[in-house]
Amino acid sequence: MSIARHQIIRLGVFVMALSMLMGNMATQHGEAAKPYEGTTVKVIVNAEFVKYAMTLIEKELFDKHGIKLEVEVIPGEAFVTKTLLEFTSGRSPWDLIMFTPTYMADYFRHFEPLEPFIKKLNLRLDLDDIAKEYQISNMYWGGTLYAMPLDGDIHTMFYNKVAFERPENKQKFKEKYGYDLAPPQTWKQWDDQAAFFTGWGWDGSDHKLFGAGASYKENNFSFNWWRQRFFVYGGQYFDENMKPLLNTKPGIRALQEMVDTIQYYPPGVLLFEAEEPKTMLIKGEVPMLVSWTSTGKRVGDPNQSLIVDKAGFGMLPGHQVDGKIIRASPNTGGRSWAISKYSKVKDATAVVLEFVSSPEQSLKIVMDPKTIMDPWRNSHFTSEQFRSAFPGAGEYLDSIKESFGQTVPGVLIPGGSEYQLRIAEMVSRALQKSMTPKEALDQAVEEWDKITKRRGLKKQQELWLQQMAAMKETGVTFRPELADK
Amino acid sequence: MNTFSKYKLQRQIGMVLTYAGIGVALIFFLFPFVWILTTSLKGNEDYFTFPPVWIPMEPSLVHYYRLFTHGNGWLYFKNSLAISSLSMLAALLFSVPTAYSIARFRFGGSLFSNFLLLLRTMPAIALVIPIYVLYSKLGMTNNYFGLILLYTVFYIPFAVWLMIGFIRDVPKEIEEAALIDGCSRLQALLRVVIPIIVPGLAVVALFAFITTWNEFLFAVILTGSETKTMMVLVASYTSGSPTDTFYGEASASVVLGIIPAFFVAFALQRYLVKGLALGAVKG
Repeated sequence: MSIARHQIIRLGVFVMALSMLMGNMATQHGEAAKPYEGTTVKVIVNAEFVKYAMTLIEKELFDKHGIKLEVEVIPGEAFVTKTLLEFTSGRSPWDLIMFTPTYMADYFRHFEPLEPFIKKLNLRLDLDDIAKEYQISNMYWGGTLYAMPLDGDIHTMFYNKVAFERPENKQKFKEKYGYDLAPPQTWKQWDDQAAFFTGWGWDGSDHKLFGAGASYKENNFSFNWWRQRFFVYGGQYFDENMKPLLNTKPGIRALQEMVDTIQYYPPGVLLFEAEEPKTMLIKGEVPMLVSWTSTGKRVGDPNQSLIVDKAGFGMLPGHQVDGKIIRASPNTGGRSWAISKYSKVKDATAVVLEFVSSPEQSLKIVMDPKTIMDPWRNSHFTSEQFRSAFPGAGEYLDSIKESFGQTVPGVLIPGGSEYQLRIAEMVSRALQKSMTPKEALDQAVEEWDKITKRRGLKKQQELWLQQMAAMKETGVTFRPELADK
Repeated sequence: MNTFSKYKLQRQIGMVLTYAGIGVALIFFLFPFVWILTTSLKGNEDYFTFPPVWIPMEPSLVHYYRLFTHGNGWLYFKNSLAISSLSMLAALLFSVPTAYSIARFRFGGSLFSNFLLLLRTMPAIALVIPIYVLYSKLGMTNNYFGLILLYTVFYIPFAVWLMIGFIRDVPKEIEEAALIDGCSRLQALLRVVIPIIVPGLAVVALFAFITTWNEFLFAVILTGSETKTMMVLVASYTSGSPTDTFYGEASASVVLGIIPAFFVAFALQRYLVKGLALGAVKG
């Protein structure tokens, strides 16, 4: 009896010792796995829906690394001014910075290059999982990696299959235009179809519907829609001497086509930003639309879309030359992440950057319709979960993947946004018919020259040559002869 | 029809047309507010339906709830209230004695009052960077005091100019009578002049409050996450092509942003017309 009690006591002591040892080991293991536990990383974003995106990943981030996020929103209207003011004063209250890569030239000196962190912390950024064209324009500056994407902002095409598949429509179109009605492959076909669909019920209803949708608002939208055509006709922003090439044949042809076809778009198109034409598409009021890829998530949402199972997706129309179609999908900057040079918790911030841009976590963000974040990783396009998210999601993702190989960047030199705003203003003047396309583009050239002069020709030229070389690498060069074909 | 009946008919037609005009103007000016108010009570699926949902079938306060629980709505609301109220009080506190000294003693000659007005001609956008740099060096960014000081300084010239008119309207003889009865200058100002110019103070207070409440540029540049105001919140919901998902919160933030200014205007309205008319008579 006493032996048994003795044994029980021994056993109890052994179990206690073992559990203490295991507990200690577990703690040690936990500490090793969570070296940043208790760290708060301050994040700055430019809208509430981006802040919402962070709520999709913050719990798992905390569970895995013990890092808390503190997300601040500065509205887009004041975002660049406020962040650059903070940075130029040599400090920043934030660690992880969301920014628009269009402003990379102004921001990069305040960011940490990422390669040292990749080596030091053995970060896995899965760069092979991102289209090369997108990497060049959205993640690198001067050959150095500074940023990881959050939002893959490019344009693709969406259409209502009813318009293209109704036998009556097909027959009428063929009779009038002499070729088969099908989703447009060229801008010529797009314009023909926009004219064809205008003013009648192409869906079989009695409604007077519109020919196509677009976002022509002056504030950069008109620029993005103009360059959809400008680059397929062989356009380029500047030559190697920084002479603007806007008023050359590709520019004039692109703008002339927009002016000639504006009557086929809904009234108010000159004031449309992104969401208005998207709404018209999902309500079945326009048969086709070029817009940001996040449109697909609204198209596929049965709570708001009337065309869930009638939607088609494709690449932007292009320009057919010698049997080959040249296409250009504007890369409109999107949103990326970078680490502030002034952060006091850079390593922890790098870990957050890795986490938020990892294939698994970023998929959550780009799949959620509330974020309007567009997919950007190859693995997003092939994700089975995403491909089965709504009818046609596979076709939608394929069209984005293909378009990523055809992207053209904005003006990515210092003052890029200023250049873009000036050309946007002039495109809008032509669309308002207060100037001819040639006059408007001549004026834009004058404005661009002034900006270049003010910022210093040599400095701008040096950085432009870098961008021009990067664009050449992805196949974009000045070929005005294409505009004649 | 005799002359009297004709006159009566003309009057009635005139009345109908007047009321019809007022009705049309009311619809025109109130429609955006009513639309925002109903949007803040709608479900996400109702924003873009055609025909539009004018009055939601099942109104809900969920967007207001989210604003306070998921966002920083409550904090920013309190910030706006505190900053606007204190700026308003500070503007009154400094503008009344300044205006009194200018109106009664021509303090600073004619140059001083003109110089004050010059300060108002400077556009805010031209000042934002130098002020940011100054505040940054003094450690006054992300700080209530910094914003209150700035708004007070910005508003004082306008308040002083308004108050000069009101004070000049008060007959000097009343003050002199108070002085003869044994009041000091300060007592005469506090006990005699200020009660007479209450409508003017109401106008100044109301404009100061609304101007500060609606100010965006400095509120976004000089604040940090703890000190932002309602206007910054409104803009953060509406900026960057918001999806329909956030229209409810955006509308709720607008409604919430209007309410205090509405109540201040409502509370001061009985002074308002009188005050505006008083100030306008004499410059």
